[in-house]
Amino acid sequence: MRKITYREALREALQEEMRRDPTVFLLGEDIGRHWGGAFKVTDGLAEEFGDERVRDTPISESAIVGTAVGAAITGMRPVAEIMFGDLTALAMDQIANQAAKIRYMFGGQPKCPLVIRTPFGAGVNIASHHSQSLEAWFMHVPGLLVAIPSTPYDAKGLLKTAIRGNNPVLFCEHKLLYPIEGEVPEEEYTISFGTAEVKHEGSDATIVATSYMVKKALDAAKTLDKEGLSVEVVDPRTLTPLDKQTIVRSVKKTGRIVIVSEDCKTAGVSAEIAAVVAEEALDYLDAPIRRLAEPDTPIPFSPPLEQYVIPNEKTIIKAVKEMV
Amino acid sequence: MASNLTKEKLIEMYQKMVEIRLFEEKVFDLYGQNLVPGTIHLYAGEEAVAVGVCSALRKEDYVTSTHRGHGHCIAKGADLRRTMAEILGKKTGYCKGKGGSMHIADFNIGMLGATAVVGAGLPIAVGAGLSAKLRKTNQIVACFFGEGASNQGTFHESLNMASTWKLPIVFVCENNLYAMGTRQSRVMNIENVADRAVAYGMEGVVVNGNDVMAVHEATIKAADKGRRGEGPTLIECKTYRHKGHSRVDPAKYRPKDEVQEWLRRDPIKLLKEHLMQKHSAAEAELQTIEKEAALAIEEAVKFAMESPYPASEEALQDVYA
Amino acid sequence: MVTKVVMPKLSLTMKEGTVGKWYKKEGDTVQKNEPIVEVVSEKATYDLEAPASGILRKIMVEEGVDVPVNQVLAIITSPDETLSETDMVAEKPKAEKEPEVLASPSAKRLAKEHGIGLSLVKGTGPYGRIGQEDVERFVQESHGVFSKVKETIELTGFRKTSAERVSMSFRTAPHSTIMMEVDVSHAAALHQKLHVSYTAVLVKVVAEALIEHSIINSSLDGNKIRIFESANVGVAVATENGLVVPVIHNAEKRSLQEIEEAIEELGAKARHGKLTEEDVSGGTFTITNLGMYDVDLFTPIINPPEAAILGVGAIKEKPVAIDGKIVVKPLMMLSLSYDHRIVDGAPAAEFLRKVKGKIEKIAGAEG
Repeated sequence: MRKITYREALREALQEEMRRDPTVFLLGEDIGRHWGGAFKVTDGLAEEFGDERVRDTPISESAIVGTAVGAAITGMRPVAEIMFGDLTALAMDQIANQAAKIRYMFGGQPKCPLVIRTPFGAGVNIASHHSQSLEAWFMHVPGLLVAIPSTPYDAKGLLKTAIRGNNPVLFCEHKLLYPIEGEVPEEEYTISFGTAEVKHEGSDATIVATSYMVKKALDAAKTLDKEGLSVEVVDPRTLTPLDKQTIVRSVKKTGRIVIVSEDCKTAGVSAEIAAVVAEEALDYLDAPIRRLAEPDTPIPFSPPLEQYVIPNEKTIIKAVKEMV
Repeated sequence: MASNLTKEKLIEMYQKMVEIRLFEEKVFDLYGQNLVPGTIHLYAGEEAVAVGVCSALRKEDYVTSTHRGHGHCIAKGADLRRTMAEILGKKTGYCKGKGGSMHIADFNIGMLGATAVVGAGLPIAVGAGLSAKLRKTNQIVACFFGEGASNQGTFHESLNMASTWKLPIVFVCENNLYAMGTRQSRVMNIENVADRAVAYGMEGVVVNGNDVMAVHEATIKAADKGRRGEGPTLIECKTYRHKGHSRVDPAKYRPKDEVQEWLRRDPIKLLKEHLMQKHSAAEAELQTIEKEAALAIEEAVKFAMESPYPASEEALQDVYA
Repeated sequence: MVTKVVMPKLSLTMKEGTVGKWYKKEGDTVQKNEPIVEVVSEKATYDLEAPASGILRKIMVEEGVDVPVNQVLAIITSPDETLSETDMVAEKPKAEKEPEVLASPSAKRLAKEHGIGLSLVKGTGPYGRIGQEDVERFVQESHGVFSKVKETIELTGFRKTSAERVSMSFRTAPHSTIMMEVDVSHAAALHQKLHVSYTAVLVKVVAEALIEHSIINSSLDGNKIRIFESANVGVAVATENGLVVPVIHNAEKRSLQEIEEAIEELGAKARHGKLTEEDVSGGTFTITNLGMYDVDLFTPIINPPEAAILGVGAIKEKPVAIDGKIVVKPLMMLSLSYDHRIVDGAPAAEFLRKVKGKIEKIAGAEG
C-alpha cells in the first residue's frame, strides 16, 4: 500500500470533500495560495478550488470561528483552521458558547456542521504560546465533538467524517505528526467517531495514548516486547465520543493501565479516562491507574527543559515496569 | 418625517410596532406575577428600529439578534404564541423551552437566533453573509447589536471582515445610550458609533431611531447596496429603552428629565401622528389595530399558559445532531 | 472512677462471645485482676478479670447472652461513687473492623470467586499488596481444595435464629449421649390395632418416665435446677423453613388417643406454618425422630433450656438372642443426649431404661 504523510492525508481529505460537496469551504490565516497554510496542509487547494473557497482571513480568531458558525447554520460546511491550538483561546466564546450550544438552545432548529482544525503539541522549541495541548478544554464542552488522530490513515478517515457530520468538531492535529508517513489506501474510506483502535496487542498492561504519544507508546511497546513484557496500546482516536468499551475491555484483559497524554496532568484527558476506568473496570485492576502527562507547567523554551516535560518512551517504559 | 411609503405599508408597520409594545408590556406584567422564569430585557421604546429594519427586508433575509430580542423576533414575523411560550419555558415554545427569552430563534423566517453574549452575533452575521455570497442567493443579513457591543473585539473583527469581503450585511447599532447601567460617554471617546465604520472602509450613517420611516429608508438603501455586492453598511439608530436594562432594574442611573424627553418622542406616538396627519388615518382605524393587537397577545398568553412544560428527559436531547 | 468491663477479643477472628457464669453479683466488692465473669467464645472459655478494684455496680449482660466484642458487660465504680443514668446505658460498641488486608480490586474479586479469605494469601506487591497472581498461585497450591463458590445464601431469619440457639445450647450444656436398643414388637402391635403412631406411644411413655424421673424434667437457671410439674413434651417437626418443635402440654395426663390427636393437629399446623406462640412454648423435653431417614442412632442437640432430648432411630428387623435362641424382632435405637451439668450418666441411664421398659411392655396390644 502507498505511504503518505499525515499532512498529505489531511490535504487529501479536504480535497476529496471539497470536490464531493460544493458547500464545503475553508477559511483561516494564510491558508490560501500565498502561503498554503502555516503547516502546509492546505497547500495547493486554493489553486484547485479558488480563493473564495480557500479563503485567507484577517487575524481574527473569534470572527473566524464565528463566521464558520454563521455559515454552518445557513447551509454551508466550513472548515476553519486556527493556526496554533493555543490560539483557540481567542475564539473560546464562539467555540464553546456559540457553536457548541446553538443547536441545543434553539431547541434543535439548526445544525452546525463545522470543523475547526488546529495543531497542538510541543517539541519544536516555540515555547508557551505555541506548544500546548488543550484538547481537554473541548472534551469538557457538551455539543462539541473532539477528534485526535495519530496516524495519516486515522487523520484522513476522521477528517472526512468530521466534514460530513452535522456537529461542530474540534479536530486536534499535532505539529510533530505532519511529516510522519503511514499507509493510506487509495480507495475512499471514512472512520466513525467513537471507535478506538488497538494499535498493538498485549496482555501484561494497557497503554492508552493519544496523538503523538501513540507513536511513543508503540516505540515503548517494541522495547518492552524484547524484555518479555507484552503491552497493549489503545488509541481512542476521538475523545468525544470516547470509545469506553474498547478501553475497558483492554483493562479487563491486562489488569493494568497507563494513560499517556501530552496535556498537563491536572484535569487533563488522562484524568477523565482514569475516572472512566475506575468507574467501569475497578474489579479488574490489579494495580493503581497510572497517568503520564506533562507536569502542571507552561511549556518552556530551552530544548533540554522542553524535552524534560514531555512524556517519552523512557518514562512510559518506566511506568509500565513499575506496575507489573 | 418625509417618506414615500404607502399608507398601507405604514399601517402594517404601525401594527407591528403596537404588537411589540403590547407584547413587552404583557411580559412585564406576567413577570410581576411570577410567571416568567429568569429575567427579561424589554424592547419597549425601540420598536421603530426593529420594525423599520425588518420591514425593509425580504422573508428570506437573515436577522441576528441579542438578549433584547423580542422586538426583532416579532418584527421579522415570528409567531406571538410560540414566542410567548418560549419565554415561559414551555414545550411549545420556539426552542422547546431550551432557550428562553434570550435565545429565541425561528430559522423558518431567517431569524438566526438571539445570543446572550454581547457582540457574539456579529461574527455569526458575517458567516451568514459569507454563506449568502458563496451561495449567490442575494440574501441580506441584518445584524442587531447595541452601542455597548461596539466596544467588543468581535465588532471590530466583524466589520473588518465584512468590509474586506464586501459581504451583504446591514449592521444595525441600536444606540439606546446605556449598556446596562453604563452611559456611552463613560466608556467611549466618540459620540457616534457610526463614525467607526470609516475605520473599516465602510459606510456608517446615523439615523433617528425613533422614526420608523427613517430607519426603513436607511435599511432599504443599505440592503440594496449589499445585494449589489458593494459591501456592508453600519446604521446607527439613536433610540431609548423605556424600561430598565432587565426586568428588575429601576434604571435610577438615568436622569428623570432625559427619560421624560425620550418618552415624548415615543416612536409609536410619532407614527400615529404621522398617519393621522399625513395619511388621514382615522383614530378609530388605529384603535382597531390596537385592539386586535391586544387580542392577539391575549391569545398568545392563553396558549403559552395552557402549554405543558417539556418532559425532564428533554434536557438530554438535541445536544448533537 | 467508673470502669467498664467489656467483652474481650479472645482471638484474632472472634467477633462475639457469650457471657457465662458471673462469679460476682451486683454490689460485690471486687479486686483488680480477680476473675469476675466467665466469657465463652467459639473456641475458648476465659475467666475475665476485673480491670479495676471497687464495687461491681451494675451487670449489664446476663449469663447466656451473646454480645459483640467490646460491648460493656458491667460497670465497676469506686466505693464512694454512684452511677448516673448515662453511665448505665450500654454503649453500642464500634463495629469491629476487619484487619486491613492490602489487595488489588482484581485480587479481591478473584478471591471472592474462589471463596478464599484474603488473610490466607501472601501478597508480593508493593507494601505487601496481594495481587491477582498471588491469589492465582494460592489457588493452584491449594490443589483445588478451595472450590469456586456456586451460590451464596444469607443466614437470616429462622435459619439464623435456629443457628444461634443450637450453637448456644451446644456451647453451654456439656452434652453426653447414651444409646439403647428397644424391642418395639408390642408397640408395633399397638400401632396396628389402635392406629396410634409410634410418636404418640413415645410421647406417652416419655411423659410418664419424666414424672417418675423428675430430675430429667428440668432446666438449669443460673445456679438453680428448676424441676417442672408437668411433662410438656415437644415433638420436632421438619418444615420448609427448618425445625419447629410443637409441644404437647401435660402429656402425662393425656390418653394415648388424645396425644395422637394432638400430634396430628400440631403436625398439620406445623407443615402449613400455622403454629402459634403457645403451640411452641413451655416445652420441658423434646423428642426428635430421624428414623424415616434410615438413621439408626445419633447425637441430638438439646433444645435449650431443657435438660435432655431423645433421638429416635429407624425400626429394623434384626436377629436377637432370647433365652439362648435367635429370633427376629423389630428393634429401634433410642439416643438420649443430656445436659451433664444437671445429671450424670447414671440417672440419665435410669431414665432411658425406664422409657425402654415402658415401650417394651406397653399394654393394650393384647386383644
